[in-house]
Amino acid sequence: MLEYALLAGLVFGLYFALVGLGLNLVFGVMRIVNLAHGDFLMLGAFGAFWLYNFAHVNPIATIFIALAVFTALGVPLYYLVVPRLLRAKDPEMLSIILFFGLSQVIEALATIGFGPSERSIPGRVLGSGPVALFGQSFPAAWMVSGVASALAVLGVYLYLYRTRLGYLTRAVMVHREEALATGIDVHRVSAIAFGVGLALAAIAGVFAPFMLGSATPAMGVDLNIQSFAVIVIGSLGNPLGTVLGGIVYGVSLMFMQTYFSSWANLLPYLLLILILLVRPSGLLGRQVRRA
Amino acid sequence: MLRKFILGLVSAALALAAAGARAAGAPAEIKIGTLYAASGNFAAISMPVHYGLRLWVDQMNAEGGVYVKPYHKKIPIKLIAYDDQSNTATAATLYNQLITQDKVDILVSDSGSVLTSVAVPIARDHKILLIDQTGTGAAFFSKDNPYIVLISDPVSSIWPKYIADFLTGDGVKLGIKRIALLYSTNDFTGTQANAVRSFIKAAKAPVDIVYDQGVPTNTTSYTVIINNIRATNPDAVIALGYPNNDISYLRNLQDSGVKFKWQFAIYPGLETEHLEKTVGAKGMEYLYTYTPSSVLEYKAEFGMSLPEFRAAWTKKYGEGNVAFGFNSVAGYTTGLVLQKALGGTESMDQLALRKAIFALSGKLKTIDGTFELDESGAQIGEITPLGQIVPDGKGGLKFVVVYPHDVATGKPVYPAK
Repeated sequence: MLEYALLAGLVFGLYFALVGLGLNLVFGVMRIVNLAHGDFLMLGAFGAFWLYNFAHVNPIATIFIALAVFTALGVPLYYLVVPRLLRAKDPEMLSIILFFGLSQVIEALATIGFGPSERSIPGRVLGSGPVALFGQSFPAAWMVSGVASALAVLGVYLYLYRTRLGYLTRAVMVHREEALATGIDVHRVSAIAFGVGLALAAIAGVFAPFMLGSATPAMGVDLNIQSFAVIVIGSLGNPLGTVLGGIVYGVSLMFMQTYFSSWANLLPYLLLILILLVRPSGLLGRQVRRA
Repeated sequence: MLRKFILGLVSAALALAAAGARAAGAPAEIKIGTLYAASGNFAAISMPVHYGLRLWVDQMNAEGGVYVKPYHKKIPIKLIAYDDQSNTATAATLYNQLITQDKVDILVSDSGSVLTSVAVPIARDHKILLIDQTGTGAAFFSKDNPYIVLISDPVSSIWPKYIADFLTGDGVKLGIKRIALLYSTNDFTGTQANAVRSFIKAAKAPVDIVYDQGVPTNTTSYTVIINNIRATNPDAVIALGYPNNDISYLRNLQDSGVKFKWQFAIYPGLETEHLEKTVGAKGMEYLYTYTPSSVLEYKAEFGMSLPEFRAAWTKKYGEGNVAFGFNSVAGYTTGLVLQKALGGTESMDQLALRKAIFALSGKLKTIDGTFELDESGAQIGEITPLGQIVPDGKGGLKFVVVYPHDVATGKPVYPAK
């Protein structure tokens, strides 16, 4: 049971790294809190559902569609909202309020449009039968989702550390004003990062029916809480710290389900409290973040 | 002769005047206040119930209103409904608003035990009868609280009676000795889990519960839990959850390649179409579940038959986003009980309404089965037999009622293929 929980936690953790990655990227670059992150994930899940059901589009192909559509959606949304927020005295707090409102609007519209019921995609679409891993068998869909999540994380790493745009993005993450002073088009860099953040949420959403059983318009709230736990554990503002946060969260969740299953929903809060008390900067953080 | 005729005429005129006076004192509308969850975790079970109730209200109003005995006339219904967004704090505020601001004549709770739980003390404090649609938690009902009646679902503590009776009787003969019990930690399924334990213990049969764990209601991943259950080598697994739990559990079970010899889940029976869409027909084969009214075809002595209700539902809502099933029947049943109660009550006083509803106990048969209350107001009728979903040989699924024997339509397939 221990081995199984550990391995399942690693796979699940990889997925949760993807769930939190976009949120952390947006926070890292813009210092704003996208409370609608879970709702963009939900939209990705419904997108995958509709594309599969009406056009028989495989969810793997939907990843690329989600990447293009949500990046394209994110850029104008950035220009519409974020520059105004950043001019305010307290953009972090204002962003919480604004994106909370946006989250409510998205959930309400999705409920009206899609209905409140659960929607799902058959697991066999991502592979039939269980897959063996170190002598334990796991659903094929889990393994595909885990691998896709790892590739998405790798993609973000390459984007941040191997491209010119990534260098500029990291410069903005380190110090927005200094980046502006050196002539970087901060808004352009941030807009793309915002779009990529939303696209990562949507890609995580594509796998939600497989990892979370189903998708509903209301799923965003719970996912926001889990995402926050993941990124705070890893390091707020450090997108790659999210991987560690996701794995710690995934493994802890599976251990909780094995030994204290009734209390498993307390886990995100327990981890948040613990990490804020012991290491406020997160496991990979170098300093307490500037609030 | 003439004197008698004049006397009769005067008497008739007086009676008519009296009736007119009563009718004149009648309200312009009967206000029914209720909540629904258009979003959030309970939207999927709340909206079908609300739509079912609304369908009844619209039907009544199309016929000129509902007959209210104290006024001897039909009075239009005004349905005052607020969205609690699946939030218990919001629900508590809105229940108070319905009572104190809207001053509703009849208070109907939202669907499910979680959103009903906050209404129970509020209704009691305000001495208003809570028409509890599907909040089945056993803790809601006590002999000292006359301000609640459960209308459309049996109280949770008796739901699993046939499951336990089967496992401790026929199951033992089939070789079932080890039972795993998994449940979501809420009033609805938590109470059923308690009941399963009690029934099994009382039966003194040679069966053991080898796995007994609760999980939070928002659990969406069961792969590790399924592996843990498998490690206990059970002969039968009872999984008690809400639709989101059942969907995740059954999908994970199918994707893991694990096949338990005997598997029970609640919603494959209650929301069959919805579960078939989300889990897939393959994932539902050989499952044991509560047998839905669509299979039993309860002979409704009041209200529409099931095919008629289905047709009315489709006409009004289409094959839309709100699932037709057990919960939609529950909402409509609430309306039928109110219709009967308003037609039989001596006054609009809350305890008189309660008395009128209790008078229906054991006598009212709807598409939801026989309406029957115990003295605390808990529903003890409308109990569903144990069924099994099996392939129909044409690529689809069919229900076989396996217990109790007097309504059984076939033998259980054990172990599951």
